[in-house]
Amino acid sequence: MARSAGTIAPPVEALPAVAGRRRRVNWPVVALLAPALILVLLLFIYPLADGIRLSLHTKSGNPFANYGDFFRDARQRDTIWNTLRLALPATLINLAVAIPLAYRMRRVVHFRRLLTGLFVIPMSLGTVLIAQGMLTFFGPAGWFNKTLIALHLVGEPQRLVHNRTGVMISLIISEFPVTFLILLAFASGIDPNLERAAQMLGANTWQRFWRIVFPLMIPGIATAFALSFVATFAVFPSAVMLGQPAGETRVIAIAAWQAAYEQFDYASASAIAIIMAAIEVLVLALVLGARSRFYRGPASGGKG
Amino acid sequence: MSAQLQTDPRRSAGIGPATGDRPAPRIERLRIRALTKQFGELAALSAFDLDVRGGEFISLLGPSGCGKTTALNCLAGLLEPDAGQIELDGEDIVRTAPERRRFGMVFQNYALFPHLTVERNIAFGLRMQRVPNARIGERVTPALDMVRLREQRDKYPAQLSGGQQQRIAIARAIVTEPRLMLMDEPLSNLDAKLRIEMRTEIRRLHQSLGLTTIYVTHDQEEALSLSDRVVLMEHGVVRQVGTPREVYLEPSSAYTANFLGARNLLPVQIAALSGDRVEVATTTGITLTGRPRGAFSADEAAIAAIRPEHIVLHPAGQDGINTLPGAVQEVEFMGQGTQLSVQSALPEEIIVRTDQDAWSVGDRLTLQFPPDRLFVFPDEGEG
Repeated sequence: MARSAGTIAPPVEALPAVAGRRRRVNWPVVALLAPALILVLLLFIYPLADGIRLSLHTKSGNPFANYGDFFRDARQRDTIWNTLRLALPATLINLAVAIPLAYRMRRVVHFRRLLTGLFVIPMSLGTVLIAQGMLTFFGPAGWFNKTLIALHLVGEPQRLVHNRTGVMISLIISEFPVTFLILLAFASGIDPNLERAAQMLGANTWQRFWRIVFPLMIPGIATAFALSFVATFAVFPSAVMLGQPAGETRVIAIAAWQAAYEQFDYASASAIAIIMAAIEVLVLALVLGARSRFYRGPASGGKG
Repeated sequence: MSAQLQTDPRRSAGIGPATGDRPAPRIERLRIRALTKQFGELAALSAFDLDVRGGEFISLLGPSGCGKTTALNCLAGLLEPDAGQIELDGEDIVRTAPERRRFGMVFQNYALFPHLTVERNIAFGLRMQRVPNARIGERVTPALDMVRLREQRDKYPAQLSGGQQQRIAIARAIVTEPRLMLMDEPLSNLDAKLRIEMRTEIRRLHQSLGLTTIYVTHDQEEALSLSDRVVLMEHGVVRQVGTPREVYLEPSSAYTANFLGARNLLPVQIAALSGDRVEVATTTGITLTGRPRGAFSADEAAIAAIRPEHIVLHPAGQDGINTLPGAVQEVEFMGQGTQLSVQSALPEEIIVRTDQDAWSVGDRLTLQFPPDRLFVFPDEGEG
């Protein structure tokens, strides 16, 4: 009897966890996760939390006074617009150039390494180095203007540095590689039979691109946009060196820097940094939200 | 051009239930002459000739690398041949872009557009032809019904099984009412059971639509069961063209015979010729009588070939024409029959397929090669 009773009653371990019963901690998993968690905590969460805390630190007692000051002061408020006017066009121009180029190069095998190498060189140059080079190259007596004049394309040197154009060019140069490489990876991942199938169904080159390749590249385009936008929105050295840091290229990072290191007002500098982060998060949320409305699965037409 | 497509009554009659006889095909004939394609040093396709009548189902059959897919891609226009003509009802289409050929194509990996629903996949070709939206629905539904997938119209390809995906790919190609249907190993990604079901489905569609079809496969069973004619290829060259019965029963070369199941090939020498019989000697001195397939002279090297299922087994010690004693080396139970490897005085082990299940390793028996079933081919210097 005892034996049969033993087989009927389920073992205690097999019972579903009852509420209130302590869940077992999987220590090996925690141990493996710990280094990453600690890094994120120390390098991201803590500074962010501390930044928010600092930004709320005011003399007047109103915790949001620093935020209010920023938005009330037209000179400060305009930095958002100044930054967007650089970051958005630079990102969009890069995408507009990189999308067709990645599409063209998705099946090119010869020269691919060389071309990829060429496109990627700007990545290894720092922003400061690019800015230095551009100052001479695009300057009034630089090769670029000399060439334009020699070709009789312009009558007098064009002003290409110390304004918004200069900063924009430098942002395009430094952000192009990442944009291009991401898009190339996505374009190469599209099953070439999909285009052949579309072609057999009567689609010309343009229709094949717009109806098949482009929709399948959208996740890549969104990713490239997000990375490029975040990087360009934080522009600082080239805005100072190649732009008018007191005028049309007074970007939000300059405002934060001035608050911190010219006025030594860490609280309002923190508030500006938090505003900057909030705008980036907002744009990313918009882009990723839009991306989720499109197809995101594998870009192949069936079994490989 | 698309308006013409819609108003031609013969064309719109194309899609509909099977009515017994095949409907009139959309083309009269396809004529391919001296089609050649070189990939570097490799002659992928050499002087490929083929005549196809409207409504015919033709298989290009051969092992991988035989040039069958190259031929299909040249026909589709996806590859540009180095030389040769492709004439469709008298019009040379070699230089016509694929998107203007109005051919349908079904790919091995289905190639469905993953970001479009089943319905929009099928409608794609019609949109490219600028068929008005109202008409597109009218044509997509019957196409979905033809492949029995009407309930799946709003799903995405990834939500369907492999067999369903391939049926959608077929529907997508037939809905545009192509002049020629090209199929590139459409069943090779499916499991065995589904492959046989889909074979029947393709056969049924071909019967009811009368689509002129070029079908590429490496599977002899598929080629034999589906085709009106089979084109057997090797190294970019056509080896034999004929009805499934012709290529199976009357192979023209040792290669053809071997590819279509004559697994036993013996190097022999011609001993004597007399009308429709030829006597040959194996390297081990055995004399066999067979059917000559080609012109021979005495002492010439040749290849004797016989299918495993055509060899007759007798108890040990039996006498008769083309008999020799042997011993069973291996027994493989195949479900449908048994396959034996038999050691004998011949230079190689002979593979025998039999219905009898009574054999075991070490059994002694007598092999008999019926002279009608033993083909003797000229030796082409390759197996």
